[in-house]
Amino acid sequence: MIKSKKSIIVLLVAILSLSLYATGCGKKANTPAAPPKGSENVNTDPGQLVVYSSRNERFTQELLDKFSADTGIKVLPLHGAKELQIVEEARNVQADIFISNDLGALGYLHLEGLLQGANPKGIETIPANFRSDDNAYIAISLRARGFIYNKDLITEKEMPRSAEDLFDPKWAQLKNGYAITRGGNGGMIGHVSALRYEWGDAKTAEWIDAIRKNSAGIYQGHSEIRKAVGAGEHTFGLVNNYYFHQQLLEPTNNNVGFIYLDQGQGQMGAVANAAGVGLVKGGPNGANAIAFLEWLLLPENQAAFVGASLELLINSQFGAVYPPAVQPHIIDFKDLKLQNMPIKELGNYFQDTRALIEASGLDLDLK
Amino acid sequence: MKNNNMSQLNIKQNSEVGEETSPTILLFLRRIWLNIWHGNPPGPVLLLFGLTVAIIMSIPIIYVIWRSLFAGAERWMRLLDERIPRLLWNTLSLTAAVTVCTVIVGVSLAWIVIRTDIPGRNIWRWLLALPLVIPPYVGAVTYIIVFGRSGWARDFWRDTPWLVNSFGDYRVNIFSFWGIFFVLSMFTYPYVYLIASAALRKMNRNFEEAARSLGMSSSQIFWKVNLPFLRPAIGAGAILVSLYVLSDFGAVAMLRYVTFTAAIYFQRASFDTASAAVLSLVLIALTVVILWIESGTRKKNKYYQTANSYREPSILQLGKWKPLALLYVSAIFFVSVFLPVSVLVYWSNIGIRMGALNERFFGFALNSLRISGFAALLCMLLAMPVIYLKNRYPSVISGIIDRLAYGGYALPGVIVALGFIFIFNNHIPALYRTFYMIAIAFVVRFLPQSMQAGEASLSLISPRIDEAARSLGYPPWKVMLKVILPNMLPGVLAGGALVFVSSIKELPVSLMLRPPGFDTLAVRVYFEAHEAIYHLAAPAALLIIIVSIIPLRYMLSKY
Repeated sequence: MIKSKKSIIVLLVAILSLSLYATGCGKKANTPAAPPKGSENVNTDPGQLVVYSSRNERFTQELLDKFSADTGIKVLPLHGAKELQIVEEARNVQADIFISNDLGALGYLHLEGLLQGANPKGIETIPANFRSDDNAYIAISLRARGFIYNKDLITEKEMPRSAEDLFDPKWAQLKNGYAITRGGNGGMIGHVSALRYEWGDAKTAEWIDAIRKNSAGIYQGHSEIRKAVGAGEHTFGLVNNYYFHQQLLEPTNNNVGFIYLDQGQGQMGAVANAAGVGLVKGGPNGANAIAFLEWLLLPENQAAFVGASLELLINSQFGAVYPPAVQPHIIDFKDLKLQNMPIKELGNYFQDTRALIEASGLDLDLK
Repeated sequence: MKNNNMSQLNIKQNSEVGEETSPTILLFLRRIWLNIWHGNPPGPVLLLFGLTVAIIMSIPIIYVIWRSLFAGAERWMRLLDERIPRLLWNTLSLTAAVTVCTVIVGVSLAWIVIRTDIPGRNIWRWLLALPLVIPPYVGAVTYIIVFGRSGWARDFWRDTPWLVNSFGDYRVNIFSFWGIFFVLSMFTYPYVYLIASAALRKMNRNFEEAARSLGMSSSQIFWKVNLPFLRPAIGAGAILVSLYVLSDFGAVAMLRYVTFTAAIYFQRASFDTASAAVLSLVLIALTVVILWIESGTRKKNKYYQTANSYREPSILQLGKWKPLALLYVSAIFFVSVFLPVSVLVYWSNIGIRMGALNERFFGFALNSLRISGFAALLCMLLAMPVIYLKNRYPSVISGIIDRLAYGGYALPGVIVALGFIFIFNNHIPALYRTFYMIAIAFVVRFLPQSMQAGEASLSLISPRIDEAARSLGYPPWKVMLKVILPNMLPGVLAGGALVFVSSIKELPVSLMLRPPGFDTLAVRVYFEAHEAIYHLAAPAALLIIIVSIIPLRYMLSKY
């Protein structure tokens, strides 16, 4: 007993000294420092940058590490953040940059007056319909909606080709069924917004009700769907195209195909969404945030933004690099038939779409 | 007559003073004050300190009640109609099932290990308490790896023709009531097991022999003599388990089973804070009901053991039951310790070869260490005045302070985090999303652990020592620091160690309050496991378990 008491004391002394050290540097590292105002300050210490990201951590972390390596600016990332956290912190701004998978979310933040316009070097490389008028947010990469399907379970011919096909109750009888995400998923919100633009609210609400009833599984995110379809747990699933690319890279369960929706004559075209970054208004490290935007707009870093996500690059000429297994399946987005709704319109639909999804009975979050 | 004279003499004096400062009221207040403290009030410094602690501890509760009161009738109606009934059913059925299962498993294991001649008794005693160091969310991850939809068991099943032929496709669904029931039971039974073991060890042999002399069989003795004696222990264990199930977030979230805590977390994640507050209030009410049941049963059931004729309980011969008992004990050990740890070692091994122990990993470990160390330090500092007040100056006020301090402990982490986000974002912006905000939240959650440990040592120090120090002119707070603290230091430090380990394991508060760039090991386990990147989740989980083993000896010796 005496021995164990002694060891506890030794342990505690160690903890104590560590904590004293922690309190010392905790303050430095974690309370957002005042934005570096004097230029001298910037020269001596590049400071830090607080990045909130709702994009998958595996895609984002590498990009942020590259930024740190290139500029010396320390990045404090909060992965898994949501746009609504920026809203909640409006009076107590923590983030400098918000990275999102959903241009609608960025548009929504801009609409709420939480983003700030800028004129970073290199902005002209982004087509005008992929950024807000004041460049408060810009899109870098693009994804389109479609069906990932398991080639062992269904042939391309048997697959539905249009979002409208999902109204048909016969898909509820399909062996192993199909999978969709929860209503609050950014991809799903963007998809529903585009349908509302095309069809109006009444028909869209019916569609939501139909997929909720007829689908065999409702998942948190697309990664789970692609894995489930790859493993044959479901026959097909409604996802973004780059999840198909990712499934191709799996060592097993990779016999999957993909169908871009509504490519036929007179059809609405595939629903596209974009991932990008927004400049948060009044962030603690304003100068570094601009530096980040200018760094990101360099061609090589636009390609790095795509990184492991295997999305399509808006500036496809900058040459995002895809693994050999994926390369043959990459379709330049200029060759795709896309929906009429301009992507940056998504923000105007964002909130009403969430409300419509919920009212139609599809839960925003899994319960 | 003489008295009368005296009072008359005093009249003038009294009225003169009274006009200036109205001493009657002051005197009255002072009387009440002294009455509250039974004639022995603490100094202002000590009291202020205690009150500060109480206020910090009550932040989340006050916030949640406040927020849910203003959630609006419509929201209340909607939640009461749609969500609350199902959540109540999910939560209560899980709580009841896990509690019953842990009582059966815990008591039977304690009985076998303490009262029978099972081979290796002394080793089993320790081994069976080991699940205590595996946080249930880590346990859940390992069971997903083994039994999940694409888990090892599925592969084995698929590749074993006779299984497929005779039973069809693999159908175990770990993401279900039975999955979460099994995982929670296997990682919480030690609460019952430890308390029941302690009670069984203290049981007096004389009672059993008396029963036996009256012709009862072994099983009759168990039901009529042993079980009634065990009732308080079973009750205490069951309360701990059910409180745990109510507050668990990690395991239920991992296994996608929605109880109140998970629902609160998801409401918060979609920033519907008012609904989250309403659900929290219901959960708090559930917690209070369980605590109330506990205090009720404690009062009713009093079983006395005679100390003067105490004889150690006899050890039963298992005989032909020996292999069966051994099989049972080994099976429990296998599923609750051996299997999960092996899975983690397997994946850690893969992870380490793939370079999981990189700078990033050590950064997370350092974050965990810093935050837990700081929380432990704070708890040691803050627990002192509260327990000193409670033990040396017992009164209504110190009682309330003590109760409030325990309030945060019974409260699920998601509710504590919810309260903190709101209070700090709106009223203490300087500390919002900093290291300190998490540390203070940990204090709210774990202060009672250091209080219990400190109290145990304080009770060994005679109040005479305090009185001697007071009589030599020290104010109360100085007595505490200079005289009492050095004497109770081992207890305080042990309490700190407990807080340290709890903080390392803590998930919901770390998850909801973490500042940008400040992920801890627990948060990493949650995220990596969620993405099924097990080679990164396993090393972090293993490290948490290894650290948790440190204070196990202390925890076991407590029972």
